[in-house]
Amino acid sequence: MSLLLALAPLWPLLVMLNAGLRLALALSRSGPRRGRPRLELLDAVWLSAPLPALLLALWPGELALSMQSWMLGGVWQLDAMRRPWLLFAALLWLLAGGYARGYLADERRRARAGEGTARRRLTAFALLWPLTLAGNLLLILAEDIPSFYLGFVTMTLAAYGLVVHAGGREARLGGFSYLVLALVGEGLILMGLLWSAGSAEALTLSGLRTAIAEAEQGLWMATLLWLGFGVKAGVVGLHVWLPLAHPVAPTPASAVLSGVMVKAGVLGWLSTLPLGVVEAGLAPLGGWITGAGLAGAFVAAVLGVCQRHPKAVLAYSSVSQLGMLASLVGVGLSEPSLWPALLAPVTLFAGHHGMTKGALFFGVGVSEHPPRLPAWLIWPLLALPALSLSGALASGLIAKSFMKEVLYESAHAWLLTWLSLAAVGSTLLMARALWRQWRGRGEPCMAWYAPMPLAWLSAVLAAAAVPLWLPFGEAGIPWPAPGDLLGLVWPALVGLTLAGLLLWVAQAGSGRRPAAPRWPAGDLWWGYAAAAGWAAAGLARAQAALESRGQRLRARLVEVEHRVIDWLDGLAHAERGFIHFAVPLAVGVTALLLLGLWLG
Amino acid sequence: MSQGWLPVFTLATSLLVAPLILLLPERAGRARAVVNLAAAVLKLLLVALLVLGFYQGRDYTFGFTVVEGVSFLLQVDALGLMFAGLSSLLWLATTVYAIGYLEDSPNRKRFFGFFSLCVASTVGIALAGNLFTFLLFYELLTLSTYPLVVHRGHDKALAAGKVYLRYTLTGGLVLLLGVVALHALVGDVAFGQRERLADLGPEAHPMLSVLFLVLLLGLGVKAALVPLHGWLPRAMVAPAPVSALLHAVAVVKAGAFGIVRLVYDVYGISLVHELGLLTLLSVVATVTILYGSVKALSQQELKPRLAYSTVSQVSYIVLGISLFGPFGTIAGLVHLMHQGLMKVTLFYCAGNYAEELGIHRIEDLDGAGRRMPLTSMAFTVGALGMIGLPPIAGFITKWYLGMGAVQAGMPWVIGVIATSSLLNAAYFLPILHRLWFRQGRGRWPEERRLGRYETSAWLLLPTAATALFSILVGLLAGVPFSPLDLATFMATKEYLP
Repeated sequence: MSLLLALAPLWPLLVMLNAGLRLALALSRSGPRRGRPRLELLDAVWLSAPLPALLLALWPGELALSMQSWMLGGVWQLDAMRRPWLLFAALLWLLAGGYARGYLADERRRARAGEGTARRRLTAFALLWPLTLAGNLLLILAEDIPSFYLGFVTMTLAAYGLVVHAGGREARLGGFSYLVLALVGEGLILMGLLWSAGSAEALTLSGLRTAIAEAEQGLWMATLLWLGFGVKAGVVGLHVWLPLAHPVAPTPASAVLSGVMVKAGVLGWLSTLPLGVVEAGLAPLGGWITGAGLAGAFVAAVLGVCQRHPKAVLAYSSVSQLGMLASLVGVGLSEPSLWPALLAPVTLFAGHHGMTKGALFFGVGVSEHPPRLPAWLIWPLLALPALSLSGALASGLIAKSFMKEVLYESAHAWLLTWLSLAAVGSTLLMARALWRQWRGRGEPCMAWYAPMPLAWLSAVLAAAAVPLWLPFGEAGIPWPAPGDLLGLVWPALVGLTLAGLLLWVAQAGSGRRPAAPRWPAGDLWWGYAAAAGWAAAGLARAQAALESRGQRLRARLVEVEHRVIDWLDGLAHAERGFIHFAVPLAVGVTALLLLGLWLG
Repeated sequence: MSQGWLPVFTLATSLLVAPLILLLPERAGRARAVVNLAAAVLKLLLVALLVLGFYQGRDYTFGFTVVEGVSFLLQVDALGLMFAGLSSLLWLATTVYAIGYLEDSPNRKRFFGFFSLCVASTVGIALAGNLFTFLLFYELLTLSTYPLVVHRGHDKALAAGKVYLRYTLTGGLVLLLGVVALHALVGDVAFGQRERLADLGPEAHPMLSVLFLVLLLGLGVKAALVPLHGWLPRAMVAPAPVSALLHAVAVVKAGAFGIVRLVYDVYGISLVHELGLLTLLSVVATVTILYGSVKALSQQELKPRLAYSTVSQVSYIVLGISLFGPFGTIAGLVHLMHQGLMKVTLFYCAGNYAEELGIHRIEDLDGAGRRMPLTSMAFTVGALGMIGLPPIAGFITKWYLGMGAVQAGMPWVIGVIATSSLLNAAYFLPILHRLWFRQGRGRWPEERRLGRYETSAWLLLPTAATALFSILVGLLAGVPFSPLDLATFMATKEYLP
């Protein structure tokens, strides 16, 4: 069944090709007389793009495919470690595809009516969506480094087109920040991959991990890879693209961006860092990763609460959650013996956050254009993933108790306290996001079985039940004992109380000053941009100085040249003088010679 | 003896076509096209025959003595075959392209005549068996490309041609000096007889170092190593097919090929390593790579940007050579092929934009992706390949360069590779953004409808074909007879102990 393994990443490409060909055919057929073609790009075939991957994830048994002639030797495989990642990724992509059909309904209508801009945008979306998906699936399945890098790059670059979908200044800024940071990340990843693969001539990811563990400069290689993948995984300082790109991207794209694509960074860490290898000696780096992760978790919570756009709040929440995830990955380096037990909770956390964040992003669109359902049903369903993300309910609660179970007895039990405090921040963020959604709610306008509400409902249910369906192999997930519940939900309670207090203060003080300090989305981005501006100005000055110095040098050279020419002119002048004397001179010399001869 | 005639025939196909074309009247466009294409196809077949025979272990050597101690020698080895294969493949593609490009323009007879001579010289360079023969064709290349560079005949072209001649003839003179001096030292050395120089012993090392530098200086002009690159951006005034061929296989590549020959077949990599000249080579390559990329960033027109990109990319070959070890060698050799395919694609695309829409400046490319989707897709492939993204050819080069850098104990080179990739991205991605994501202004500088499709099929076909090849040699690099396979064969069987 390794054919299925090959089909999973190839099918989206075929879907893209199909859409492109149909488009080309329709365009070549449409003459001015027959009018514009009525072409449905987001059809059933388009929606089916992640289906083979979903089927593959549910396929029993491990699969491997090796291809001699593929680049430098391709190895794709599906093992116990990859299966959960593939499953939740494929599922979220499927739901997001359905959601997109509804989300873009207006644009589709305008495109059918023949509006150029809408047609252009829709075409780009219909082609780049499956391409991004193909890259994402390939990076999950690839075991050889070139395929992995291919998947990562394809996903990163194709997603740029999704981010700038809306057009306009803000979308351009979001897309620009996304692309610049992504390229910096690609550069770091390339360096890390080449250096570590070169040190052991490794071609596979497992070989790469061994190489880093054994190499003398393993610390530097691992640092490059940490920071490179950290751009995707929102390491604090490199996270600035998230809050800029998420609000401007179409909601289904934000959902997969935050739900699955940023997880590719985490998966990159798991695939390349020698986690759980005692001899690696990367404990100091582990400490840094954990520290940076926690710092990100808190900073993002503070910054996120100051945002007004619900999608920006959710983006900061992603940074915060990814920080928590990163702190656990760091433990895998600083205390390698713990990693085998920690992998399962990390995977569960990733799957839970992916699905839940997807559901939350879907919810933003749903609260703007709610289905015709009673409010008492919609709002609790919107709040369910929020509470789950803060760890008080459903999959979030289970994920947290699982982590607690593993870390409790270890030397890293202190981390649990910090994670709980970070969860208070998460709760505040969720409250903020829901509050902004409530303030911006719209009138019920569509049936509950329309694509958007349907995808949202499915995502909410699937997200709540992640521990039930995410496969973990032999060892099951431990369910929390009723006695531990208070220890698990207190951060959410504290967060809710704080949120209530803040709201009360804001209501009481409204009219006198703004309820929350406004902080531009993208925080450090503006600092980076200013620094880049200064650097560019400095360089321009330096260049101008060099140029003026060069001009001075050139001027001096020209002057010297002139002087030489003047001198030559002088010579010519003198020579001209000679002409007058030439005949007498020659005659004189001859006479002298003759005289000499005669006398001699 | 009959075996020895095969390389001569290969050389003769394009060498004899030149006078034939010059004899045909200017009006006989169709006959000229037929002769050109037939010769190109014939040569491709002959090269294929050579490759086949070479793999069966046949020896193709042709030679005669010119004067005592100096002989004309054609021989076939893997490196030469690779270069001959590249040049005959791209000759075919470029001939098709040029027929479409120069339709209805004056002086086509002169153009195609010298075009054939130029290709004959590249094949001669590829099959040359010693430095004398190499030098002969190297100079012939200089002279036969001059009429192509100044083809348009306006003042700017003539000025560029003057600069071109000044640079290349001086380079040729320096090269001649080096060749003569080396001849005085060891006599006539065929390529591959590396032990002759190595046997001279350590007391000859200072002299050998000086001669290496002299030869490098001579070859470096055509290979456009900074600071000897000045002619290349100016030569951009040439018609697009000429630029394409100049950058991909003829002049610049001949210089790089010469450096490969010098390092591997004249001196031998071990001797160069012993002389301590590889570090110098890698520093020169690094400076050239970074300088070319930075200069490319500041160009506002498409062809000059591509020209500076060539300056940078060709030095990848030199960088690969300078990394002592099999991986570095593979990277250098394989890029000889890869850069040719990708760069020729980019220049075809630039020509297509200029011919169909009159676009020369980058800012006019807004929205051209919708008007010319196939050309723009080909450009995208070429550009992403230049950045070094998988699965396109450039990635394979970068991968082996990185491996080679670690193997040679110079991990700092990886930093150079990454920086250069980022700079490449910085000057290519804005173009791609303009092509695909910007909205066109509704009218083009000078639109001509050249064909039923987005442009004339003569222009479109070679573009699509070379783009496809650029992907295939990367995607299927593991297939036998792929450039990577050939380079690996050469690096492990011939050049390294």
